[in-house]
Amino acid sequence: MSPSFVGVDVPDPKLQKATRLGMVVDQNRCIGCWSCAVGCKEQQNVGIGLYWLRVLTVGGPFMDTPAGTFPDVTMSYQSTNCFHCDNPPCVKACPTQATYKMPNGIVNVNYERCIGCRYCMVACPYDNRVFNWRKPVQEPPASVTVVGETPARPKGVVEKCTFCVQRVTDGLLPRCVVVCPTGARTFGDLDDPTSEVSVLLRDRPSYVVFPERGTRPSLHYLIRTGPNAVGGAL
Amino acid sequence: MSDDVEAANAGGQGDERPPGWRLTRRTFLAGCAAVAGTAAVAGKFVDETFLGGLQPAAAAAPTVPEQLVRTGHSNNCDGACGHLVHLADGKVKLVEGAPYDKTTIDGRLIPQSYPPRICLRGVAQLENLYSGDRIKYPYKRVGERGSGKWQRIGWDEASTMIADNLQKVQAKSGKDSVWIAPYTGSLSVLEGVVGVGFRFASAIGAVAGDFEGDNEGDSATPAGWNYVLVDPTNPSNGGGFFDGHESTDFLSSKVIVLWANNVAETSIPDWRVMKDAQAQGATVVSIDPRFTATSAGSDAWLPVRPGTDTALIDGIINYVIQNKLFDAPYLRKYTVAPYLVNPKTHKWLRTGDVGLAGDDYVVATGSGKVVAAKGAGTPQLLGSFKAGSFTAPTAMQVLADAVAKYTPDYAASLTDIPAADILALAKLWGTTHPVGIRAGFALSHWYYGDLTMQAMLTLQALTGNIGVHGGGVTTFAGGLTTLAFDLPAWWAPTGTTLFTVMEPMQACDAMLSDKPHPLRAAWFMVDNYAQQMSDRNKVVKALKSLDFLVVSDYVMSATADLADVVLPACTYLEKTDLLSSNSFYLQYMPTAVQPLWESKSDLDAVTMVAKKMGVGQYFDKTPDEYLTELLHIGDPAGADSTVTGLTWEQLKGGAPHMNMPTVPYVPFFNKEFPTKSGKIEFYVEMLVPYGQEVCDYKEPIEASASNPLAKKYPLTFLSTHTKFRTHSQYCDLPWLNEVTANGQGFLEINPKDAQARGLAEGQVVRVFNDRGEMKVYAKLTESIKPGVVNCYQGGWDTLAVKQYVEGHPNNLTHQLANPAQSLIPNFPSNAAYYDCLVQVEGA
Repeated sequence: MSPSFVGVDVPDPKLQKATRLGMVVDQNRCIGCWSCAVGCKEQQNVGIGLYWLRVLTVGGPFMDTPAGTFPDVTMSYQSTNCFHCDNPPCVKACPTQATYKMPNGIVNVNYERCIGCRYCMVACPYDNRVFNWRKPVQEPPASVTVVGETPARPKGVVEKCTFCVQRVTDGLLPRCVVVCPTGARTFGDLDDPTSEVSVLLRDRPSYVVFPERGTRPSLHYLIRTGPNAVGGAL
Repeated sequence: MSDDVEAANAGGQGDERPPGWRLTRRTFLAGCAAVAGTAAVAGKFVDETFLGGLQPAAAAAPTVPEQLVRTGHSNNCDGACGHLVHLADGKVKLVEGAPYDKTTIDGRLIPQSYPPRICLRGVAQLENLYSGDRIKYPYKRVGERGSGKWQRIGWDEASTMIADNLQKVQAKSGKDSVWIAPYTGSLSVLEGVVGVGFRFASAIGAVAGDFEGDNEGDSATPAGWNYVLVDPTNPSNGGGFFDGHESTDFLSSKVIVLWANNVAETSIPDWRVMKDAQAQGATVVSIDPRFTATSAGSDAWLPVRPGTDTALIDGIINYVIQNKLFDAPYLRKYTVAPYLVNPKTHKWLRTGDVGLAGDDYVVATGSGKVVAAKGAGTPQLLGSFKAGSFTAPTAMQVLADAVAKYTPDYAASLTDIPAADILALAKLWGTTHPVGIRAGFALSHWYYGDLTMQAMLTLQALTGNIGVHGGGVTTFAGGLTTLAFDLPAWWAPTGTTLFTVMEPMQACDAMLSDKPHPLRAAWFMVDNYAQQMSDRNKVVKALKSLDFLVVSDYVMSATADLADVVLPACTYLEKTDLLSSNSFYLQYMPTAVQPLWESKSDLDAVTMVAKKMGVGQYFDKTPDEYLTELLHIGDPAGADSTVTGLTWEQLKGGAPHMNMPTVPYVPFFNKEFPTKSGKIEFYVEMLVPYGQEVCDYKEPIEASASNPLAKKYPLTFLSTHTKFRTHSQYCDLPWLNEVTANGQGFLEINPKDAQARGLAEGQVVRVFNDRGEMKVYAKLTESIKPGVVNCYQGGWDTLAVKQYVEGHPNNLTHQLANPAQSLIPNFPSNAAYYDCLVQVEGA
């Protein structure tokens, strides 16, 4: 008999016990398809025009354009959401403690405390936070998408990626990790040396963005390896 | 909290759930989903932790259980993604990738079952379903055709209008003056590419087209595949078929050649397989005039001059033959390589021609003696041999002679790929096994696309790569799943006569000049012919000449703009169907939500019209009853071997894998080829009249440097696919459009070509040739080869939405088809979209 479908979500108790949640994005696998960004919108009701997760092209001046001159060109992608820093400048900058570090490492936002001063946006070196200038427009409307799990954000607050805190609390992976069609995203406890993220960071060369800022991001990129020039490995 | 809900439901409403539904742990706050504008309630955190202990926990609210429905996304993107649809309170809340079964129907374990797969387009189906742009009601035209003046009508009036008009047209101009055109906008069974439109055509005696892949530009390479691997004249081959290796089979490849195949943008979930293969050591090569995300993620990128792919293959073939890197035992056992060719007629030399007994092919033995092929031991592969009054070459010698001129330098001069790279690729091909090709349909958008496929198969035959795991030439997999269905009975139930095929490439001429059928009325389903067919000016003129035009769609397409009656169609979530195409999993598609507004499935719409035309007796079953008949469920004697033993429990409980002889599926794994000779016929006798018996490169019909037209129109015009839509579907979805400036079209042009024309980034440019023009913003990028421009096809150019400044890429394309393809009944003509020259200037 065929096994019945039980859903994709299988809770992992390890995520619930984690002390330093982190994400690893493999630039060898990322193709800049924006599935993570769209999945994020679906999961979190992120308003039109706002992104908790966006995909940057490492290459030319525009999306999907390479650096160099034809045919000697290179291109890769940096899929970017909140880095949930160990030393988060946004938390220090927030005058109302609306932004705070959770014991599991997630940098979260209490929108009811947020006064919209945007100091956190200035403090974040990564442009990973967005501001609700007007009442968020949700397509399809919030009456349709997932509700009850994700707090509504009123006009005038700053919002950002929460590592899907509501899912992680249930032991589930963030939506961007589940949805990634190429398996580029991995999530787990950086304090657990046996976690997949820890193993990847041990085995593969990686980087964090702007290490000199001392923010100690929890989102690491596995460095793109291998040639992609003309002829390449041939 | 949620555990309580599950407990409560277990004894309560659980029994009322339809089969295939499951409760999950996640629940929704009751009322929030049903009442719009309760964001404040919905927004309350339910876990104190989130609030840092500063806010009281939300009051324990009664909850609505979430339900899961597994379905298949039947849209035409070759993904065959299973979707797990989360519902609460009758609404779809979330769409995600669904698991696939780990076993075949007959219980065999699948070594590498598909992981859940989805991409941005699949996720956005939530928006597609609830889009305000849906056609919500039936409409009839009240102004001039194409004026956009409509009057809302009811289904009763609409179906009466359609029935009356189709009958009127048939009475006046003949039964075959009505064309039912269900295409590939959906790949499900009951609707779409093999769907109910064909049954309707049979019932009313109309022509219909077409089911096998001649969906405009996707039949050249399938024709080439059939030349080499299938005898189209043998009725048991059904007029030709087309299939490839199951996606996961590429995990067995040592080299993967992505030939004109932008997997990372068009077949996104399959990229995972490519990357898994690469991680275990496979070399991935991208051959593409554009530097794409696929090229960027490959180990090597060869930017070929568009349309010269066959020359590149010939260069590799020549190297493989010259350096004896071919698989001689394979060639002798499974191909026509040793058979002698009559040097005068270029047909096969038969035993009777050289005074030998019997009727067989002729080969030369090791000592040069000419004998009948059967039982000849180890025949010669190369050379010419005295046979009676002839000096006859082997088929392989004919090939070797034909490709001898394709030295690395000569191939380089044609393809613009450095000779050293051609040499390196040829060496890799000749010394590594297995090599698998993923051949994009881009290769089919050329006049001689059939020849390119013929060449690829020739190379793969020479290197022993056909019928082996990790080898082959794959465009998509799962074409053979139609064998699982009793299509003859579905299309032409007892009492009707099977419809006559009417190709889309013939349709414009049929409308404008009555040949081969005097088309006067058409009904399009899951098809946007007025925009997606080539030579659009001709198409629109032809459609406007019709007496009556019906379009079923869920959005107001360019084709619907021209209709007399527009019917609101359902999305894949609102009807019951089955998806099998593009994988070997059977994915039942239950009705997840009731049809929104007044939309109806094509099955229901056809049924209404059929009843009013007096043929309602052929449309009296439920979708499940049709599927039972199509798959012979519960009738093992009548079922195809690929679905023997299938039960409704399996279908509704998951996604069972068909009983393919090999899993992952490999075409011709048993090395039994349904050709005349039973072998791989890389020498194609029936193509002699076309000068195409071996894969000697031919210049593109239009987009070649030597074409005098190239002086006036020097740029090759590509119109490729973007990840942000599937052809012309999803053009209006906010999640996809906010990334792309509302899907605004642009022309990719190399800065060198732009500079020569004085064009700046972001400027509106005019793209034109003798057939038409379009206006679009210029995007200067180093990703595209000089001499080539590209504009993503499929953006809307409708009365209401203009995603290009003016026009559409198909204003520029043509309808020239290689007559050789007419040898393959199922793939007789092809739109060569990319074989197209243009000029660009500032607008």
